[in-house]
Amino acid sequence: MRVVHYLNQFFGGLGGEDKAGAPLEVREGAVGPGLVLEQLLGSDAKVVMTLVCGDNYAVEKQEAMIALALEKIREARPDLFVAGPCFQAGRYGMAAGALCSTVQKTLGLPVVTGMSEENPGVDLYREPLYIIDSGTNAARMRDVLAKMANLAAKLVSKAEIGLPADEGYLTRGLIRDQFVEQTAAQRLVDMVLAKVKGEPFESEMVPTAFAPIPMPPALKDLSKAKVMLITDGGLVPKGNPDKIQGSAATRWGSYKIEGCDDLKAEDYEISHGGYDPQFVRQDPDRLVPLDAMRELEREGVIGKLHDEFISTSGLANPLSNTRRMGREMAERIKQLGVDAVILTST
Amino acid sequence: MQLKLAIHRITAIRFGAATSIDGTTDGTTLIVNAEALRRLLLEDPSLSRVEFEIVRPGESCRAGPVFDIIEPRAKEPDSSPDFPGILGPPQTAGMGTTHVLEGMAVTVLKETGAGDSRGAPGYVLEMSGGPAAGTKYASLHHLVVIPCTKPGLPGHAQQKAYRLAGLKAAVNLARAAANDTPVSTYRFESVGPAEGDRDGLPRVAYIGQIFSRQRKPELGEQILYGAGTDGMLPVVLHPDEWLDGALVPSYHNSLGGVETYFYQNHPVIGELYQRHHARELNFVGTVATIAAADNFDRDRNCRFAANLVRWSLKADAAVLTKFGGGVPHADLAETARLLEGMGIKTAVQVTDLARDRRLESALLFNFPEVNAIVCIGGNGTAWKAPRLDRVIAANPEMAERLRGPFELEAMSVIGVSNQQGVSRLRAIIY
Repeated sequence: MRVVHYLNQFFGGLGGEDKAGAPLEVREGAVGPGLVLEQLLGSDAKVVMTLVCGDNYAVEKQEAMIALALEKIREARPDLFVAGPCFQAGRYGMAAGALCSTVQKTLGLPVVTGMSEENPGVDLYREPLYIIDSGTNAARMRDVLAKMANLAAKLVSKAEIGLPADEGYLTRGLIRDQFVEQTAAQRLVDMVLAKVKGEPFESEMVPTAFAPIPMPPALKDLSKAKVMLITDGGLVPKGNPDKIQGSAATRWGSYKIEGCDDLKAEDYEISHGGYDPQFVRQDPDRLVPLDAMRELEREGVIGKLHDEFISTSGLANPLSNTRRMGREMAERIKQLGVDAVILTST
Repeated sequence: MQLKLAIHRITAIRFGAATSIDGTTDGTTLIVNAEALRRLLLEDPSLSRVEFEIVRPGESCRAGPVFDIIEPRAKEPDSSPDFPGILGPPQTAGMGTTHVLEGMAVTVLKETGAGDSRGAPGYVLEMSGGPAAGTKYASLHHLVVIPCTKPGLPGHAQQKAYRLAGLKAAVNLARAAANDTPVSTYRFESVGPAEGDRDGLPRVAYIGQIFSRQRKPELGEQILYGAGTDGMLPVVLHPDEWLDGALVPSYHNSLGGVETYFYQNHPVIGELYQRHHARELNFVGTVATIAAADNFDRDRNCRFAANLVRWSLKADAAVLTKFGGGVPHADLAETARLLEGMGIKTAVQVTDLARDRRLESALLFNFPEVNAIVCIGGNGTAWKAPRLDRVIAANPEMAERLRGPFELEAMSVIGVSNQQGVSRLRAIIY
């Protein structure tokens, strides 16, 4: 097994904070912690190359550092890339995370790193990477390397990776399926009995908390505002020209309503599998209230209704997807100079 | 209320002259007179044709799309009716003796499927390979009933014909056992809010959603004692009512993971009964409810359900299951939140909604007190379903579509991600 290892200036033996500006250096063979790593990985493992870089350089010149590192790693033809462990060192963690993530993505190599939970590199890279929980104490170097070596060996041999508690990596925030011995009913009753008795129990799912979204400032004058309608109720022109999926939609579309005062049932259809669409099918204005908006426009309550509406299907859609579509829509709306949006849902 | 189950263990099915049970030293065979059964089912003027197929556990065979799976059961005379409200008057289910043909099922197919032409066209019964290991249904002998409806019937009439065909077939087959001595009988210990002699044991209730108003009930759809759920409020049921024919699933079951078989063999009720017998808890009863379409209805329903558990069943704890897709999580969580506010401990069963496999997408609620959650997986599991020679479907086009090979997702294999508590597929955070 050929291994390339990344270290910062301190663990690479260049020096302390005074050497933090040192550019990326390539060393043959194992250095410092890499000697232990090599030993822990077993007799057929060899650290063929060690990359050493100063923490400041790695963060300030990240792009250049990664480009050069990638080139060197490619030349070394390794089976595994390891970075750190970085413990609590923030810049080291950021560099190790960025490198591992790029190597994994572009070279398709197994990668392992180690950090403490508080390391800022964890926030950025916990999802794509296996990051062994190193704790903050660098004196535990050997223990941490043992866990990294164990996990790395499994990754290289494509063995099944256990849960965070078994393998010692930081929870990635992902979900996978597993067949278990007990039925859901047994687990359910076990859990409620434990809860009644005040005994510990482990919930199989945990809620996610989201930062509150600040209220935007109020419109100064609605009668001068350009208003737009957006719906996630899946109203699309007949034939669904953008092929917006009825569930977990990855696309959205914008549709002209210029010169139109009323949406006609025969011109539209619904691509949405999550509600009873018969009332919208009868009269699409029930979902995208064009008729009412035109009235407000005529009465001068709003300045102007924008001449297209945006539509997608809001059903069973993961957040990563809706977040992206929301950003795309917001960008579009800004370009159009729209002042206000009315979102209609189902 | 005292339900007695008379168990007849079936180890094979074959077609023969008279519908009967043939016990030999090798096991017990259900002999099915296909002609007589066909005549019975064709009494329904909606049907033009009915076909039957026999499927064995482990057989390299696939059937679909599945409408429902039912365990053959028949009531003795002077007991409560079979499927009251649907096949008989709406009298209270769960009384007297029920003959059970254990180890087999009646599996009803429908004629049309959903989805595009690549994946499974709805629920698939897969009898071998990886998927079979994840579902109890693969371990049963099946009499597959393939009802073909007359052309031009509206959807709701088609579905009603499928439902009646399945229930009638199941009852008819089990009647063959009425005069046979069961291999075992099972009597449930008394449960209910007023049962004494259980001081100090936690009083536990079950709240189960039986429908989600993500859909309107179809015209004439029968779910609870033959009633649709239009205008339904939460209602207290004795556990035996669930087990003995008071309930069937909705036609709208594509997200439901609910089959008649697991109402009859309800895993949550079964588990609570078992712990009741073991004197680990005091099973005080159940509430059947529906998930609402809007917050106004949700507020009302959740309060009613919580109040029934608090004041009628006087429970200390409750377990809750949902029906359908995403929205019912809101009703489930709100009911649990209200119960926790009343000092009643809860555990809830949810389904994994994170198609991107990210934890942040998994739950649709965030109440600190609703913190005991069982999560059924399914989004991350699929199998390569091989091309099979034996494929059972209502028509040749459907059979060709099901023949494979194709990617078979866990959610499409009937029984794997079931929401009645039988699923062993768990979503795990890593």
